[in-house]
Amino acid sequence: MLELSGIESGYGETQVLHGLSLEAQQGRVLAILGRNGAGKSTTLKTIMGLLPLKSGKIVFEGKPIARQPYDVAKSGIAYVPETRDIFPSLTVRENLEIAAKRFGGAAPEWTMERVLDLFPRLGERMDNGGTQLSGGEQQMLAIARGLLMNPRLLILDEPTEGLAPIIVKLIHDKLQDLKAAGLPMIIVEQNFGFATSLADDVVVVGKGQAVWTGSAEEIRADEAAQHTWLGV
Amino acid sequence: MFRHNALRCTVLLLLAAAALFQALTAGYFGLEILTEILILAILVLALDIAAGFGGMVSLCHGALMGVGAYAYAILSAKAGLSPPVAMAAALALTGGCAWVIGAICARSHGIYFIMATLAFGQMAYSYVFEAPVFGGDDGLGGIARLDLSLIGVDLNDSRSFALFCLAVLGAVYGASVLILRSGLGRSLAGVMHNEQRMRALGLTVWRVKADVFGLSGMIAGLAGVLAAQHVMYISPGLLSWTVSGEALVVVILGGLGTLVGPLVGAAAFVLLKHELSALTPHWHLVVGVILIAVVMSRANGIFGWIEACWGGRAERRAAKAVRKQKTKEVLSDA
Repeated sequence: MLELSGIESGYGETQVLHGLSLEAQQGRVLAILGRNGAGKSTTLKTIMGLLPLKSGKIVFEGKPIARQPYDVAKSGIAYVPETRDIFPSLTVRENLEIAAKRFGGAAPEWTMERVLDLFPRLGERMDNGGTQLSGGEQQMLAIARGLLMNPRLLILDEPTEGLAPIIVKLIHDKLQDLKAAGLPMIIVEQNFGFATSLADDVVVVGKGQAVWTGSAEEIRADEAAQHTWLGV
Repeated sequence: MFRHNALRCTVLLLLAAAALFQALTAGYFGLEILTEILILAILVLALDIAAGFGGMVSLCHGALMGVGAYAYAILSAKAGLSPPVAMAAALALTGGCAWVIGAICARSHGIYFIMATLAFGQMAYSYVFEAPVFGGDDGLGGIARLDLSLIGVDLNDSRSFALFCLAVLGAVYGASVLILRSGLGRSLAGVMHNEQRMRALGLTVWRVKADVFGLSGMIAGLAGVLAAQHVMYISPGLLSWTVSGEALVVVILGGLGTLVGPLVGAAAFVLLKHELSALTPHWHLVVGVILIAVVMSRANGIFGWIEACWGGRAERRAAKAVRKQKTKEVLSDA
């Protein structure tokens, strides 16, 4: 579904990715794991066109991916960033409507009602401002906003960052529901247990390259790889 | 995003009541000052939409006002179009020019955006100043006001014209609120907070900026049309960058990104100008000192300061109520 071949990217003159290759498959969840600074978030930002692709190829559904973020979004990829980026001066409803009105179409798979069924907490906070939400509610809103883009691939960067364990479990359950509904996802995550219990496939990134590729069961069983590449 | 609250509604009502009272009771000189305030208020509302809500600090809004004024003057006085048609055409032209400027400048930010808009403004100024069709330095005269005799209103009367400008300002304020609350306004709020995020949400950021700048320019053009009708004469000075600079001073003085603040700023600025210029020819110095004081106070202009005081009072009241409640609970437990 999404294939990265030998991509090189980074911030200005600082190169972070050195020929990274990976593949996300239709209907499956791919977790990208790795230590801090390995290049996980850089990979997602490069896919989304938020960082320039210096070399290599990114192919989405058989076609080279667009290089402008808005074209990538229009091609069917929704991105939920680590920082969540909730617009503080807009209410929950307005934050959702920004995505819903743009990607609603004639018969959208994800509607406001369906999103609120998935995250009932947001329904109770519709008229609250973005800054009045807890971290967990902000994460729910960020995921809900991504879903309203009716994506064919959902990309999440550190969805459990800074959240209480009970909220982490809630987010896990919701993402499990999305997986059961057949939505392909790529998740970048520091929480090994969270990522491997959700993912089908795992890619471990180290120093800007894919250093380990396999299934979630395999990485759970491979203690040497965990120790070498993840410090678990 | 723009929202009304009790304070904003109160200030708005007070301003409207004061303007209406002045329009109904003032003599000729008072009416002229009121009309000047109302036209400046329309211009600064336009600038506040672009700069306060979109982060597009423009130094060409004076020029856009001038384009509206000249377009109306040429089309009505020289091309012989009826004033309403000339007015509609002038607004469309100004909106179109502003959209193009917005589309070109949308990819730049901060100081570069300001400089790019300044360059467009100066280009317009130079062209109007040098082209014989615009009357050069002499300007153009003989500009007619709208004919509302069908509804029994004679706009050649100062009082009627002031009331007309007040009605137009009310309509512009309402339209500005609608724009800021629309999908376009929401997108603009998103762009203002995080352009990159909006791009990742599939938004064509330059288009949003151009659309908002176009609408803002159209409102500035409307201020120009009214200015031309008010004085019945226009000169290239209307397009000068100092007009844009003055409008920016008024917006900052009143309160950037509040819509109500610029209205307060327009009234304060024109009144200060007239009162101080009667005392000293160096009134700009005094206005400058006031502006520096406002900026250094870190409040968002006069209205921002009022809002901060109001907010602080409300917080103190809420804290007092909580303390009272807690004391009651402790006493009842005891």
